[in-house]
Amino acid sequence: MATHTPTAPALEAAPVPSFHLLDYLRRFYANYTVRTIFKALVTIWAVITFTFFLIRLMPGNPVEVYVDFLMNQQNMTYDEAYSRAASQFRFDPDASPVTQYVEYMGHLLQGDLGESITSSGTRVIDQIARFLPWTIFSVGLGLLISFTLGATLGTIMAYKRNTFIDHTLSLISSILSAVPNYIWGLMILIIFGVQLRWFNVGELRGTYSPTMTPGFTLEFLGDVLKHAMLPVLVYVTGSIGGWMLNMRNSTIGTLGEDYVGVARARGLTSSRILLAYVGRNASLPMFTLLAINIGFIIGGSVIIEELFVYKGIGSFLYWSISQRDYTSMQGVFLIITISVVVSNLMADLLYSRLDPRVRVSGEK
Amino acid sequence: MIGAVKPTIVENTMKNDVILQVQDLSIVYQTPRGDVMATTDVSFDLRKGETMALIGESGSGKTTLSLSFIRMLPNSARVTKGKILYSRDGVTRDILEMSDNEIRRFRWSDCAMVFQGAQNAFNPVLRVRQQFADTAAAHGKTDKAWIKQRTLELFKLVRLDPERVYEAYPHEMSGGMRQRSLLALGVLLDPQIVILDEPTTALDILTQRAIIDVLKEMQQRLNFSIIFISHDLALAAEMASRVATVYAGEIVEEGSVEDIFYRHRHPYTLGLIRSVPRLSRQQDELMSIPGEPPNLITPPSGCKFHPRCMFASDKCKVDPPPLVEYEPGHRAACWHTDKVAAARIAFAAQD
Ligand SMILES: Nc1ncnc2c1ncn2[C@@H]1O[C@H](COP(=O)(O)OP(=O)(O)OP(=O)(O)O)[C@@H](O)[C@H]1O
Ligand SMILES: [Mg+2]
Repeated sequence: MATHTPTAPALEAAPVPSFHLLDYLRRFYANYTVRTIFKALVTIWAVITFTFFLIRLMPGNPVEVYVDFLMNQQNMTYDEAYSRAASQFRFDPDASPVTQYVEYMGHLLQGDLGESITSSGTRVIDQIARFLPWTIFSVGLGLLISFTLGATLGTIMAYKRNTFIDHTLSLISSILSAVPNYIWGLMILIIFGVQLRWFNVGELRGTYSPTMTPGFTLEFLGDVLKHAMLPVLVYVTGSIGGWMLNMRNSTIGTLGEDYVGVARARGLTSSRILLAYVGRNASLPMFTLLAINIGFIIGGSVIIEELFVYKGIGSFLYWSISQRDYTSMQGVFLIITISVVVSNLMADLLYSRLDPRVRVSGEK
Repeated sequence: MIGAVKPTIVENTMKNDVILQVQDLSIVYQTPRGDVMATTDVSFDLRKGETMALIGESGSGKTTLSLSFIRMLPNSARVTKGKILYSRDGVTRDILEMSDNEIRRFRWSDCAMVFQGAQNAFNPVLRVRQQFADTAAAHGKTDKAWIKQRTLELFKLVRLDPERVYEAYPHEMSGGMRQRSLLALGVLLDPQIVILDEPTTALDILTQRAIIDVLKEMQQRLNFSIIFISHDLALAAEMASRVATVYAGEIVEEGSVEDIFYRHRHPYTLGLIRSVPRLSRQQDELMSIPGEPPNLITPPSGCKFHPRCMFASDKCKVDPPPLVEYEPGHRAACWHTDKVAAARIAFAAQD
């Protein structure tokens, strides 16, 4: 072992410059905004990379899927079909995934999501811009309705806890949240569309009727609502039970807080207590949940949009997957990742706006 | 406004300075195991400006009694008997007969209550001043300038830095600061009665001291009456002008501080006082009351204290003793007050 005394001065001298750099980086990272953005970017990069390789590990590729289609539908031989497919797609199934990845990331850094593999000439970003708004509209509306309605019903349940109303609503919300939403979708289709014929399923396909000219007319908006009605109904049915139960439990907890009792003793009116003392505190965790749920708008829409033939981003993703359209899938996954990351950020931000106790680090 | 109108005296059976008169009040909690008789036949008067201490073991019914004065008993509680008469400006009302809106307005503007162990008495998402303003607004006082001035004045009175606390959120204050703010909030509307249910138990001894000083000063300035509940007998003796000993939901002895601490006639009061450690007393001389507080679903027959009483006779097992006045204002419910007095004198000689 080396003796300590002679090396001591050298050890003291050497770390000084690197210590400064590390210290600088550490301080930079300690900044809340910097840290948040850094985390978000790392998350997005990790998910892109992961999904990039994952979707290429799925059995089949765009060419094979198209070859199968041509052979089955148009009775081509394998060779004919393969040369047709290869000539139509700008995609080389034999290129190494790593090369593809480097190329893709290069484009992505310039903000280019690339072209769809299976319909050449169509940019992925245009597809997303075309389908995404419909999903945001329908799922967002569903979320809004089920959140407000669920929170209201949950509050009523808490105020009337252990009464007939509470027991009934609890049972209903348990059933609603126990059954997956696509089952509700199927049931609604079969019972009201097929059996009772309350509506014409065929007419409700798509996001609006083909005869309509899009624009800000009452007629068009009405048509849009009509087409969104069933998916929205399913989103509400599928999620309202959770909101109700969450709000009920949160409100019951809040009703037992000291400050609610003291507020009553102070002679505040029950409406003031309900809004500013009970509701305000009980809904705090709900807003976090709400923001987090916004991140799942796209993911949750896939099956429902497919079921109701609602042309949103979910059904676009479904189609891309079935075609193994790698670039389109990748584009949608990117959007999903970004929306999850952003909505989590929003949850943090919103929470610190609503709850003064966590506001401390954000201010000053 | 005060003195401008001579209040018309509605038929008033209450003595002039009595503001709260409890008459034969009984309260039960309905539970699956049976009715818990938490308050039985309680009667007492509270006078303007005086402090009345309620002492008694845990579970004796002190909180239940005081909650009934602002009608904040839990849903499972029923008042089975009695009246709670409240008098202000010469008008006397039975609190139990007030409508929901009347009782809402009565709360805090006539009778404020600091709850036992209310560590989070303030809504965490509203500033303290907003909660003062809320309270004022609920009682029809919406003049912003007045509210602000009054709030700052009260913060000063409870020795808080008004500028600092005014904009603060509850979590930015210490437990002691919150307790002081709560006391300030308590007198915001100039109530006649302030109920303090163990207001200092969660605080350290110095903060306790400071709060007691603040309380006394506030009471001197604002002249409200206090119902003071505490397990700390020294504190009760210091704060109160009168004391009531509560056992198993009944007032078993009531009198001035001197009556209760130096001339007590009930064995339970004797036991409570002898169980307090004193520097001058050896540990082994401490007397604890044997046995457990009784089950209030099936309380003992006769005198409820008899199973734990060293003076109990056969009569005590059968006949409940009435509350008898021995000196003016000093009442006790015991068949053997003479023996208790003798024991008290013997103990005093020992010390
Ligand atoms: N909500 C309730 N339901 C049933 N019984 C209750 C309820 N609240 C209190 N009790 C019972 O009523 C009796 C009196 O309780 P109370 O809280 O008034 O006592 P206390 O004198 O304030 O006690 P402590 O000194 O511990 O605060 C006790 O026997 C208690 O078990
Ligand atoms: Mg109590």
